[in-house]
Amino acid sequence: MGATFTSFYFLCFYVCLLFLYYLVPKKAQWCVLLFSSIAYYLLSGNGILILYPIISCLSAYMGIRIMSGDGQSGRNRNLRESSGDQKPGGEQENGGNEISGSRRKATLVMVIVLQIGILFLLKYVNFGIHTVNGLSKLFGGTGEVITAFHFMVPLGISFYTFSILGYVIDVYNGIAVPQKNFFKLALYGMYFPVILSGPIMRYREDGEQFFKPHALDYKQVTFGMQRMLWGFFKTLVISERMNLVVNTVYGDYGQYGGVYLWFATICFAFQLYTNFSGSMDIVLGMSQTFGLKMPENFETPYFSKNISEYWRRWHITLGVWMKEYVFYPLLRTSAFTKLGKNLKKRLGKKRGKQLTTFLAMFLLWFTVGIWHGGDWKYVIGSGLLHWFYIVMGELLTPFFQVFMEKCHINPRSRWVDGFRIVRTFFLVNIGFVFFRADSAGTAVSMLKSMFTSFHPGVFFDGSLFTLGLDWIEMTIAVVSLGILFAISILQEKGMKIRESISQRKLPVRWLIWYALLFYTILLGYYGPGYSAAEFIYQGF
Amino acid sequence: MTREEVYETLNEVFRDVFDDESIEVNDETTSDDIEDWDSLEHINLIAAVEQEFGMKFNMGQVVTMKNVGEMVDIILSQI
Repeated sequence: MGATFTSFYFLCFYVCLLFLYYLVPKKAQWCVLLFSSIAYYLLSGNGILILYPIISCLSAYMGIRIMSGDGQSGRNRNLRESSGDQKPGGEQENGGNEISGSRRKATLVMVIVLQIGILFLLKYVNFGIHTVNGLSKLFGGTGEVITAFHFMVPLGISFYTFSILGYVIDVYNGIAVPQKNFFKLALYGMYFPVILSGPIMRYREDGEQFFKPHALDYKQVTFGMQRMLWGFFKTLVISERMNLVVNTVYGDYGQYGGVYLWFATICFAFQLYTNFSGSMDIVLGMSQTFGLKMPENFETPYFSKNISEYWRRWHITLGVWMKEYVFYPLLRTSAFTKLGKNLKKRLGKKRGKQLTTFLAMFLLWFTVGIWHGGDWKYVIGSGLLHWFYIVMGELLTPFFQVFMEKCHINPRSRWVDGFRIVRTFFLVNIGFVFFRADSAGTAVSMLKSMFTSFHPGVFFDGSLFTLGLDWIEMTIAVVSLGILFAISILQEKGMKIRESISQRKLPVRWLIWYALLFYTILLGYYGPGYSAAEFIYQGF
Repeated sequence: MTREEVYETLNEVFRDVFDDESIEVNDETTSDDIEDWDSLEHINLIAAVEQEFGMKFNMGQVVTMKNVGEMVDIILSQI
């Protein structure tokens, strides 16, 4: 069947599933989703790899059972299993239940070690090996000190591992309901729309809805399908077109100088955004047709005015996960508390606190980078570079404020906002060069070329039409990006697009949705490589 | 330690963390009432409170406590 949501077979699978979902008794709806998730995973690639998510769910289940088995003495006694209510975690361990406290902790540690261990083994062992080999080569060695492994990596491992791990930690902390049914937990871990590319769910917010009855709601189904259509428009019409330019230029970057590389990188920014946010529209829309509400992952991120804001609007669920399960616990470790205390004594309160936060942020951004893949290009492009931007932003803010005051620039003016948006987009694009290039080294040479060689003539001599999109295709791309831009502005202003369209008269509604449907069908790019078209993020 | 004594110490911690000598917290105080109280400062505040009172919040409590009153309840239950 192929893992891609845009394939014809997948759409047949989905339509059959939707009928079945609303035909079976409501109590069994979640079973339909579980079986279809298993079927989807088996049909999506190498079937045997389904063992990985199953092992992940099983270890989480056993961990949760052990932790909630302590029931009366544990923290979870505050949680009513059926209601899903969240209450503050219960009591700290005291003399009376110290054993159960340490047992719970040991269980949590074992689950974390197992889950992260599998992830590390499959995705990051080769990163270590390549780094050692690279260093050896750098110092005149053979460059082949250790031979790399060849693992079959299960689809969506970084996504389902985080969803499941976050849940186990929440149960430990007493803020999530312990799920006592393994199959229900398996559905949460393996729910097919999200398993490949997210969003990363949180059981305490998104988990229990799977098991509630969902009556057929015309509005939910149509709104869901409309959102799916919008996702197809983004991926098939825009992303696939951008992909052609990006592949041409990045595939032979030595041939192309500065302006081409800028052009291709900006195309990649739109390719990645429309691909990833488009796949999220499909996932969230599809879930909505099942009566399920999944967490949003994007909020028009290219309108961000600084890098911190960008990360609150791009891949939102990853940022939230990292903050809650990596950054905050890290800041509360005794090592960081002591460090903070020492630094405050030496550097003063403000600087000491700032430096401690920067150090913790370094580890956070390293983790965010490496989450994207075991390669320095990800560690830099999606991690440490953004850490650098944020640190510089914090340090330079006072100077910018003085500068603007002296130049009598109103920091709240539209022009300043516009400048900030363009600056942030520019900085993000530098990161994308690393993200898309073959390696960090390649990215550096490309950036050198981008900043040293300018041939503005290529904008006028028609060379841009030789990169995979002729002028007709380019016009379609520009018009489609214009539509996306217009809708994004309306969203930015707070308009609920589908709600607003649904309030219009029937002919207008139909005109809009059918126009989008035919636009997508007729102009969706189904050229060479279409069958291989996949969501970029599902590799993670 | 009485609730009033906890509040006395807690006011000092808040003033120190947020660099504002005028802060006076009560049961109903939330992050909306103090300008710099964002999620990062919340973690710094938690670390400072833990150090001052020699106790530990669990992560569940850190993310779910709704106001200073709840914070004081947890402190009192542990000291």
